[in-house]
Amino acid sequence: MIKYLLIRLASALPTLLGMTIVAFAIVSLAPGDPIEQELRAMGIVPTIEDLNALRAKYGLDKPFIYRYFDWMSRAVQFDFGTSIATGRTVINELKLHFPATFILAISALFGTILISLALGIAAVASNQNIASFLRALTVVLVSIPSFWLALILIYIFVFYFGWARLVGDGSLRDLILPVVTLSLGSGAALGRVVYERIRAEMCEDYVRLAIAKGVSPAKILLRHITPRIIGPLATAWTNALGALLGGAVIVESIFGWPGLGQLILQAISQRDFPIIQAYLVFMGLGFFVTSLIADIIVIITDPQLRRKNSHE
Amino acid sequence: MFKLSSAARLVSAAFLVASISAPAFAAENELTVAFKRDRYSVDEEKFTFTVRRPAAQIVETAVKPDANFLPEPLLFKSWDYVDGVYSITLREGVSFSDGTPFNADTAIAALKLYDSGRSDFLQIDPESFEKSGPFSFNFRSEVGSSLVIENMTHRATSLFLTGTNRAENPIGTGPYLFENYVPNQSLTVKRNPNYWGEAPNIDKLTFRFIGDDNARLLALQNGEIDIIGEVTPQMLLSMPQDGSVILHESRPIRYVALLANLNGAAPFDIMHDYKVREAIAWSIDRETIASVLYAGRGIPAKGILPGWMFNLGDNHTDGFGYDPKKAGEMLDAAGWVMGSDGIREKDGRKMTLRLVAAYPNVSSVKPMPEMLEQMFLAVGIDIDLVEVDDSGVYSSTYLKPGEGDLFMEFASNNNTDPTYLLNNLFTTKTPWASYQLTAPGPHVDAMLEQARAAQTRDEVIEKVRAAHRAIVQDDLAAIPILLVPNFTLSRPGISVPMSEYADWVDFGQVTLSD
Repeated sequence: MIKYLLIRLASALPTLLGMTIVAFAIVSLAPGDPIEQELRAMGIVPTIEDLNALRAKYGLDKPFIYRYFDWMSRAVQFDFGTSIATGRTVINELKLHFPATFILAISALFGTILISLALGIAAVASNQNIASFLRALTVVLVSIPSFWLALILIYIFVFYFGWARLVGDGSLRDLILPVVTLSLGSGAALGRVVYERIRAEMCEDYVRLAIAKGVSPAKILLRHITPRIIGPLATAWTNALGALLGGAVIVESIFGWPGLGQLILQAISQRDFPIIQAYLVFMGLGFFVTSLIADIIVIITDPQLRRKNSHE
Repeated sequence: MFKLSSAARLVSAAFLVASISAPAFAAENELTVAFKRDRYSVDEEKFTFTVRRPAAQIVETAVKPDANFLPEPLLFKSWDYVDGVYSITLREGVSFSDGTPFNADTAIAALKLYDSGRSDFLQIDPESFEKSGPFSFNFRSEVGSSLVIENMTHRATSLFLTGTNRAENPIGTGPYLFENYVPNQSLTVKRNPNYWGEAPNIDKLTFRFIGDDNARLLALQNGEIDIIGEVTPQMLLSMPQDGSVILHESRPIRYVALLANLNGAAPFDIMHDYKVREAIAWSIDRETIASVLYAGRGIPAKGILPGWMFNLGDNHTDGFGYDPKKAGEMLDAAGWVMGSDGIREKDGRKMTLRLVAAYPNVSSVKPMPEMLEQMFLAVGIDIDLVEVDDSGVYSSTYLKPGEGDLFMEFASNNNTDPTYLLNNLFTTKTPWASYQLTAPGPHVDAMLEQARAAQTRDEVIEKVRAAHRAIVQDDLAAIPILLVPNFTLSRPGISVPMSEYADWVDFGQVTLSD
């Protein structure tokens, strides 16, 4: 297993390097001068010398390649520079905002797992009409954009019932609506996966034998089918975590949840290059880590792969 | 016995009344104000970025703008400018919130601290400070400017106590004390009990940073916030009309105008011809646009600086009415004749103009670009409309390389220096290099140079009037469309003392009627 992990990590290095180049290039080559934007918005009249001094301070006066290698040499030491807009270090900004996003994404993952299992199992266990309804519901939930879903939930739970606040202070109570918004879409999408996996297993001989022996459907699902499908499902759920981390941006903005989404939206509008670059790298790393965890889960849950890795 | 029991009852009743009414007296009144972005910054080196709206409650400027944007006393009691020397007399009896007296020494230290900022625009010569008394001192401008006091009305020049950590506990002379700050979430200030000036009405102010426009409006409707400090045109369009949200407005200050590409290369050279610019100015139905946008609160513009500002007056510009027939005749005279397809032509070239909308973003002027497109089409001008929702793209992709004929801007002279806007947008020596293409030429450069070098206020204003007229009338580098107020929204029962300068809306002096 350790050997596998080392190979996996080594093979990821070129990908991560490529990711840093893309992240840096996307941001650096994007139009807009953060210094001019900030100063004009502030109504400040600098001289051309002042502007040049500020650009030099943030290294914006140097060629792209120089800036990239300078940035990389610091980034490998987790020094991503200083935010142009706030003056705080980028690492501090990430530390300030990441916990809220992580809690939101983990909670949404939990919700996603519950919803996907509930929808998938219900669709398998229901009669034709209910199964059709659930499939239609799944299609609606998958298709509906998260910002629209958020507005519907706000109307129902904030304005109609008054059960929730729209703009909270980051407390657990304020987590519910953003989590539900994120979970419904991804839960519905993965509910289809759960449904198809169970349906596929139900066609297998061992399930037919269990039915013939009079084993109850619940027991068949829990004892026979679940061990066979839990690996692929866990992989799908883990991969969903990466998507939830990235997809939280809009939802965080709508609900005022103080996470990375708020940070990155503000950084983009202000052309806060150091923040945007670090965010892109950070999200790339997030996807890499979640896919690595997904691979490990596959190995752990698949007896054949487990044996193969333990022999190597 | 009866009397005793009656007395006891009376005493009990008095205690009861007192116990009920006492909390009412002692109760803190709090206000939550929502802003779009957290502009509170902690970088010591660029502290000019740190004192925007919320933090401005903690620190104060030397002077503040009066109703006409002229400086009036605040921490400076009086000032004089003679032969390049500013003589300052400070207000006495003022202390910083930690008890340190505000006097000539602390004021000079605060101004020197500002001078060390990298975006210093006061341009005071730091070596020129000379204390002349416990509450008076002199200094010179590095560049011989007579506008240093005007520039001190900018919130970014607020005076901090030096030697303290401004990031963690900024200390100023203002009506509020720093209480709590959660980046990108909220900033809370509480009333300064020892404030030297008029005590604020509100005990505690919480500034909430809510990026999403809809979320800000919905939060106000849901009673989670009391005031919205940054109002977008979309919020005005979706604002409920049932009285649950109250609109507060200042006098018109922001302008919407089309900046003409006066120096562009082909194919963006059609606007070089004054007759074309004038025809465009006459083909805009400003009354109709004013009735559609900004809740109908905008007014047709004769310039980009409102007449009340700096006592400029309304008579130095004539403006343009709506006369499509006249516009057509002007285009005919310029050689642009109507083609069979309804689009004018000259020497085989179609009259297609690229209109780039807008600074700071197209959302702030919607649906004006489409309305203008139809108005221009009616006089035979085809519009290639480019809509951008990002000021970086607007500036770098279109304005700087001159990739457009007309550039729509929604902005304001957000500085009490009368030359600020005109100098930055219409001179060849502008620090905003993108705007060199909207500069009419050496005559306007000279007017604004003279304005900046003028040594009396009256002379400055006279030169600014002349430059303004050149820009919006005689040269038409900017084709004015609307002037729009500054807005805030609140729940009912709140009266907001509005200011045209968004940084000077004094939320501490908000009055509550419920």
